[in-house]
Amino acid sequence: MSKSARNKNARNTHARGARQNALTQRETPWGPIVFFTVVGLVAVLAIGYAFVQSRPSSADDRPSIAGLVTKDDLDSGHTSAAVKYATDPPMGGDHHPTWQNCNGRVYDAALRNENAVHSLEHGAVWITYRPGLPAAQLDVLKGKVTRTDYTFMSPYPSLDSPIVLSAWGNQLKIDDASDPRVDKFLRAFVKGPQTLEPGAPCDGAKDTP
Amino acid sequence: MTEDTPPATKGRTVTIAVAVLVLLVGAVLVALTAFRPGDPGTGDPEAGFARDMSTHHAQAVRMSFIVRDGTDDAEVRLLAYDIINTQSAQIGMMTAWLDEWGLPKTDPAGPMRWMSGHGGHQGATAMPGMATRDQLAELERASGRAAEVQYLRLMVAHHRGGVAMAEAVLARTGHDRVRSLARTMVTGQNAEIAQMNRMLRQRGGTAV
Repeated sequence: MSKSARNKNARNTHARGARQNALTQRETPWGPIVFFTVVGLVAVLAIGYAFVQSRPSSADDRPSIAGLVTKDDLDSGHTSAAVKYATDPPMGGDHHPTWQNCNGRVYDAALRNENAVHSLEHGAVWITYRPGLPAAQLDVLKGKVTRTDYTFMSPYPSLDSPIVLSAWGNQLKIDDASDPRVDKFLRAFVKGPQTLEPGAPCDGAKDTP
Repeated sequence: MTEDTPPATKGRTVTIAVAVLVLLVGAVLVALTAFRPGDPGTGDPEAGFARDMSTHHAQAVRMSFIVRDGTDDAEVRLLAYDIINTQSAQIGMMTAWLDEWGLPKTDPAGPMRWMSGHGGHQGATAMPGMATRDQLAELERASGRAAEVQYLRLMVAHHRGGVAMAEAVLARTGHDRVRSLARTMVTGQNAEIAQMNRMLRQRGGTAV
C-alpha cells in the first residue's frame, strides 16, 4: 500500500468514524434520545411512586366532614369560676380543674360545661342531644358511646339542633343519630390530632353530672 | 475492514445493554416498593389490638390508683405503682403506632372485632377481664385489707384477659414491634398473676 493510499484509507476511516460518533455526527440521534427519555421517565415514575408510598398520609389531618365548624386559638386555662363560652355547647376554652369522666359514659342529666370542656381537652368527643330525641335515636347514640372509650353523652336543653357532637375546637350539628357523619366524627376526633393533652385520662375524676 | 465489528454496532449493543439494565433495576425497585409489607390498616388486628389494649390498660391504671388510695400496704402499693407506670407507658407506645400508621384511635363499629375471626363478623364483644362499673365502685368504697384482696382478685382476672388479648394478636400478626410488645405483656403479666395469687393467699384470700 502506498503512502497516499494509506492516508486515503485513514481519512476514510476517520470520516466514517465521525459520521458514526453520536457526539460529532450532524444528524439528530433520535434512537438514543428516545431510549434515554424512556429510561428517564421510568426512573422518575419509580422515584415518584416510592415517594408517594413512603409519605405519611396527611388525609386525616383535616377531615372533610360536611358541616364541620372549627375554632382555633381557644383558651385552655383552669378556673373554678363559671366560664362564659362563645358557643353553646362549648367546644373549648377555659375550664374547671376536674374533668368529667369520659370513658364511654352515658349521663342522664345535663353536665357542667366547665367539666365537660376539660374532657374535650383530654381528647374526648362529647355527644349532646336535645331532650325529647326519639328513643330509637337515643339508643343508637348510647350504643356508640358505651363501646367507645373517650366519648361521653348528656342531654343539653338549650340545644338548637337535635344532636351536637363536640371535640376540642371542632363541632358538628346533626339531625339524625344514624347520620354517617357521626362515625366519621368519632374516627377523626376520639383522641384525635386536636387533643391538647394526648395521653390524659378519661376516668378518675367527676363521675356524676 | 469488514472483519472488525463496526464501532457503531458495538456502541449500540452497549447502549442497549445499559438501558435494559437500568430498566430492570427500575422495575425491581418499583416491584419492591409495591409489594413491601405496608402499614396495618384500620381493620387489621394490629390496629384493633392497639386500640383495645389501650382501653384495657387504662382500666388497670385506674384500679391501681384506687387501691393506692385505699391501703397503706407497701407491697400492694408498689405493685400498683409498677402497673400504673408500665401500662401508662405502653398506652403511649400503642397510641404512637396508630399515629404512625395514620389510623383513627377508635373504631365506631365497636371493640374486639379483630379477635373474632376474619373481619369480625360477630361484631363487638366484651373485652376479657374488664371489671364492671359496680366492681370499680365497690373497690373505691373498700379500704385496707378488703381493698387489697378485691384489687388483687380483679387484677388477676384483668391480667388474664390481657394475656389472652396479647396471645391473640401474636397468633394474628408478623409485625415486629407489635409482636415484641405483646410478648412482654404475656410474660410480664403472667409473672404478676403468680405474684398476685401469692399475695392473695398471704392476705387470707383464695387464689383465682
